[in-house]
Amino acid sequence: MRKVIFMDLNRCIYCRSCEVACEREHNGRSFMSVLLLDERHPVPMNCRHCEKSPCVAVCPTRALVRIENGPVIIETMKCIGCSLCAMVCPFGILELDYLNKVMRKCDLCIHRLNEGKLPACVSSCPARALTYDEFDTIMRRIKEKAAKAIISGVGLEPGIVISPPES
Amino acid sequence: MTNPIPDLAKSKCIFIIGSNFAENHPIAARWILDAKEQGAKIIVADPRYTPTAWTADIFLQHKPGTDIALINGMLHTIIKEKLHDKNFVKERTIGFDQIKALAAKYDAHTVEKITGVRSSLLQEAARLYAKAESAAIVYCMGITQHTCGHGNVVSCANLALICGNIGRPGTGVLPLRGQDNVQGACDMGGLPTVLPGYARVDDEAVRQRIAALWGKEELPKEPGLTVVEMTNAAAEGKIKAMYIMGENPMVSDPNTKHVRQALDKLDFLVVQDIFFTETAELADVVLPGACWAEKEGTVTATSRSVQWRAKAIPPPGEAKADLDIICNIANRLGFKFNYQNADEVLREINLAVPSYAGITPERVKEKVGGLTWPCPTDDHPGTPILHSETFATVERLGKFIPVEHQPPFEVTDNEYPLLLTTGRVVMHYNTGSMTRRSSSLLKRSPELFVEVNQADAEKLGISADEEVKISTRRGDTIAKTTITNRVPPGVVFMPFHFSGTNALVVEALDEKAKVPEFKVAACKIAKGK
Repeated sequence: MRKVIFMDLNRCIYCRSCEVACEREHNGRSFMSVLLLDERHPVPMNCRHCEKSPCVAVCPTRALVRIENGPVIIETMKCIGCSLCAMVCPFGILELDYLNKVMRKCDLCIHRLNEGKLPACVSSCPARALTYDEFDTIMRRIKEKAAKAIISGVGLEPGIVISPPES
Repeated sequence: MTNPIPDLAKSKCIFIIGSNFAENHPIAARWILDAKEQGAKIIVADPRYTPTAWTADIFLQHKPGTDIALINGMLHTIIKEKLHDKNFVKERTIGFDQIKALAAKYDAHTVEKITGVRSSLLQEAARLYAKAESAAIVYCMGITQHTCGHGNVVSCANLALICGNIGRPGTGVLPLRGQDNVQGACDMGGLPTVLPGYARVDDEAVRQRIAALWGKEELPKEPGLTVVEMTNAAAEGKIKAMYIMGENPMVSDPNTKHVRQALDKLDFLVVQDIFFTETAELADVVLPGACWAEKEGTVTATSRSVQWRAKAIPPPGEAKADLDIICNIANRLGFKFNYQNADEVLREINLAVPSYAGITPERVKEKVGGLTWPCPTDDHPGTPILHSETFATVERLGKFIPVEHQPPFEVTDNEYPLLLTTGRVVMHYNTGSMTRRSSSLLKRSPELFVEVNQADAEKLGISADEEVKISTRRGDTIAKTTITNRVPPGVVFMPFHFSGTNALVVEALDEKAKVPEFKVAACKIAKGK
């Protein structure tokens, strides 16, 4: 089964190490952006490598492809920079590389995966908010955590805990 | 630090005061979040609502410079409600009566008035900390960088002692130190009052021991000067020459104008650094040092773990490892520094520092994660948790020391109505001499800014990203505004990674530790340049 990057929104501390690591791996361009909402809620935004990828579906030159059991990548030699993929991406992930006249996106650090390493954003996340694993494995881990919480009766807080500063 | 950082994951309650670990020690977040996931309660006390405060179950937003009152307020609740660890207090401590008398004065009303924290919230925090079966205290520069910094630290120790939260996994007092080897620098005697291994210069016996090791008849018995005292002495013409290594006082020290005058007055200034810093610009001679990957030796982390760091690449250009530079200079001055490598230095450390005696080159190179001092013999496993049975006092007991709240050196008045507090941001490290050279980091935090509360901004008629002039009794600085609710009304924040912030900060010192009050100064803000 293919592996995915998962985010634990309760663990992100907005240090943006993932962005900087991505930039280091991709010649100064980061495909990860952490958005901070209301000065309180950091949301790491990166390519979800969707199961039914709209970007792959609409690409007129078949530059966007899914590697079997792996990421959706752009074969840049085929890309014409038409940005149709950007129009259909629900997350606004695609970028236009004006210099090389092609689209760019997260490739899950495929060069690192081939060396048996983790994607750079995941391996550099100090808070362990990002994980890279098989979907079912991650779900199993979350279930176990929740089950433990039910048994002990602690730690089961709904969603993101909001504790605004006192005025 | 009494316990290793990963130990925090075993804690049932973590009280974080004056530490923005999420930005400044983000790796520590890993274990604090692990503890929280397992049901630990997190209390964060900080004048700013930082990303660290996001982790809090209880957030105490106290006024800058009121930490002692805040902690004494917690002691008040704990003693009044008899939540202290009576056995621990009886068996392992002395001076409880004094602390009881002190705490009695810090009732809810008094503390709320000083700190601005709602008393019911503080009481709840005190109960959580006291009732947890294991609770830890994490602090940082928000505690130390005050004219009452020494008292702040003692207050943290009082709180840990009274609840018996020391000497066990998940407990302890954990000051997060700022650099990979600042603990090591102190251990080696990089302080003006001590020789290696905290051997006091005024203690005849230990001084003689070190003198014998170094083949000297006698060593100076007078304590030297601390950083700010050196600057003052240079300004007065009492110090003629200075050799600054890996430090950038033109950005890091308080009252930049005064620092500039002092350094200008020197006859001779040598600066050794890996980059050409603001301080290097004033030097007569600049010696290019090597960065961490270009030299070898041990570093001692904040948790007292001593680790070996191998050299990965040779230093570039004319740069040399600090050890080579220091040996070269020492030899030309007529001393005999014949160390062939860092192993030989560590062998001398084994002899000089009793708690490092068992941390030999052979052992430390083999051990991933290093060895934690005290490690007095070759077969000693190291001591990750301190004070599990005794304390390092004459009585072998933990000593309560009552500390009273004292106001900061500068308080607000009609002319300077705002409190300026300073600190760090996640993108930059210290004076930015390294991080401001990284385009990835600089583009995410490109320039000096000042955080101003929405209400103050409206009063001052200033808007976001506007250049304003911040003034204190020391000088003026121009910075761009960030309008935010992270700081409460009346308090403004500036990071010190860029030149300008410390031009504003007061050089008033803590009487004992001689640390400057970076965290509180009275300032005013005016529109435009």
